[in-house]
Amino acid sequence: MVSSRVIRNLKKEFRQSGLAKLGLALVVLITLTAVFAPFIAPHNPTNQQLDQSELPPIGFSETTERTTSQMVDGEIQTVTEEVEITADPDHVFGTDGLGRDMFSRVVYGARTSLVVGVLGTLLAASIGVPVGLLAGYHRGRVDDALMRIADVSLAFPSLVLAVALIGLWGRAAVNVPDPFVAAGLAPEMPQSFVLPITVVIVVGLVNWVWFARVARGEALSLRGQEYVKASRALGADDNTIILRHVLPNAVTPIIVLGTVQVAAIILLESSLSFLGFSGTTLSWGFDIAQGRDYVSSGQWWIASIPGIAIMLSVIGINLLGDWLRDALDPGIEGEGGAA
Amino acid sequence: MSIGRFALKRSLQGIGVVWGVVTVVFALRFVTPGSPINAVAPLDASQETRQAIAAELGLDQPLYVQYGQYVFELLQGDMGRSYIRGQEVTTLVFERLPATVELAVAASVVAIVLAIPLGVISATRRNEPVDYGATLLSLGGISTPNFWLGIMLILIFAVEFNIFNTSGRGVDVGDVALSVVNAEPFVGTLLTWLAYITLPAIALGTYFMALITRLTRSGMLDELSKGYVQAARAKGLPRTLIRYKHALRNTLIPVITVLGLQLGTLIGGAVITEAVFSWPGLGTLVIESINQRDWPALQGSLIVIGTSFVLVNILVDVVYAYLDPEVVTD
Repeated sequence: MVSSRVIRNLKKEFRQSGLAKLGLALVVLITLTAVFAPFIAPHNPTNQQLDQSELPPIGFSETTERTTSQMVDGEIQTVTEEVEITADPDHVFGTDGLGRDMFSRVVYGARTSLVVGVLGTLLAASIGVPVGLLAGYHRGRVDDALMRIADVSLAFPSLVLAVALIGLWGRAAVNVPDPFVAAGLAPEMPQSFVLPITVVIVVGLVNWVWFARVARGEALSLRGQEYVKASRALGADDNTIILRHVLPNAVTPIIVLGTVQVAAIILLESSLSFLGFSGTTLSWGFDIAQGRDYVSSGQWWIASIPGIAIMLSVIGINLLGDWLRDALDPGIEGEGGAA
Repeated sequence: MSIGRFALKRSLQGIGVVWGVVTVVFALRFVTPGSPINAVAPLDASQETRQAIAAELGLDQPLYVQYGQYVFELLQGDMGRSYIRGQEVTTLVFERLPATVELAVAASVVAIVLAIPLGVISATRRNEPVDYGATLLSLGGISTPNFWLGIMLILIFAVEFNIFNTSGRGVDVGDVALSVVNAEPFVGTLLTWLAYITLPAIALGTYFMALITRLTRSGMLDELSKGYVQAARAKGLPRTLIRYKHALRNTLIPVITVLGLQLGTLIGGAVITEAVFSWPGLGTLVIESINQRDWPALQGSLIVIGTSFVLVNILVDVVYAYLDPEVVTD
């Protein structure tokens, strides 16, 4: 499947493209952050310390009005004074409205984004690829039916469909024990990772059709190839031909699409969390929604920082996708999902 | 096949897809736990009350009867009555639709007006600073969540500089047009309109601006390397003419198709942009209906969204066929 020519092309593109290097660096950084979150985060991301809320990030300070009640000559008077809040070096990115450490929340948010992005893409591919290959290979009625289903599911914007399904099915989540914490290596950190399982299922269900379309297109063009015909003439049955001859040759565009889909699903997940349609509260989108309430009162960092994290992750994955596309198959058209 | 027959064929296919959309939307209720009666009945309702409500909503009928009735009424433009608002869903949906269309169109205008020149310049000045700038800008654009961008725009332009409004719609395009007829202060109305729509339109349009820039750039690079461009150059035609009349024209054909397919993303993006800016469109209606389990309103909105997508794509295909008649022959 992976020939030496492919590897050579990958290396060549990588050497030539600075953007490919940047992409790989970002993806590696985010993956490591997600995996080793308990060691990177300085605080437990869910710990609230109300006396340390709304602290600005390092290098910034905030002036706010604080109203206090004081006893003056036996009477209670309210005093409003301007207070300068300075950053606490213990909280690099500052704290949110409940005094939770923003840096730790950003670190842990990487887990949610990446896990949902990867699992959702795998689910979408595992539905879409077999369906697409079978339809494209056999053509006829199966193919017609698939194309009609694809048309119908394309008619619903994926965000709208996802919001509807999650809103109606509920926001189920599974607690997956954190192996590092279970082994006693990071005792202060959250015991388990909250996997928003409904979100994973729904993003898989709304995105499978892109994989089906690409796999179908590949199967359609491969079924006429000489080696497939030869194999059929030698008496190989259809499933064997699809598995041994069609699938391996369709892998490249599927991988390229898969990369772009991880990025698309990370954006979708953050939108869902932002709108409150997720099963976890440890997510970049959720934090942006929280931070939105503080925008007009001056605490800009609560909404801004998680968004930068989303942007950097998606940029990294998109650059990786561009690199794979250019190296593996210069013939594939630009924008993954829409091709 | 003539263009007319092609358009007819696509329309018939489209009817099939819309029927599929209606069926999926209808089926949604039956793959959802909990009865729709819960949305209407008080918590302590007796069994009799619940049955009465079920009978009134037609929920006691067999499934195929409910489906048949729903489709039959839909054909007459009747989408039922909202459980929560008590209003006709058709009225409700078409009250909200113009706001969403206005936002989507404004966003597309922002996107197209900026993206096409940017893509062309980027391609014709490949590997120059302009190209790098445009590439980075478009990379950032396709990677930025639009709701976050919206909040950042609010932070900068509304909170810090206090230039724009951040919530609601103010006046609509119709008001702006009418102000001329009614001899109202046109500029004032126009400015009010802009104050409300500018930020949401930028927030929603940025992704498409980035996408179109990328597509235009790669398409232009492709076209400029083709034989006919070299031939035109050899003939001594002016560069601008070759670039804009020949190459750009051929580039835009595939760009239009991709945009048709991305309409879903545009509407999906509108849903969340509306949530950020409290824009009173279909998106806000969808989210409210889901949270309140207002089935008729939810179904109506989804059907209208799905149908618009199908209609626009038929239109795109016909335009495409007109621009590139080879499409019709296969």
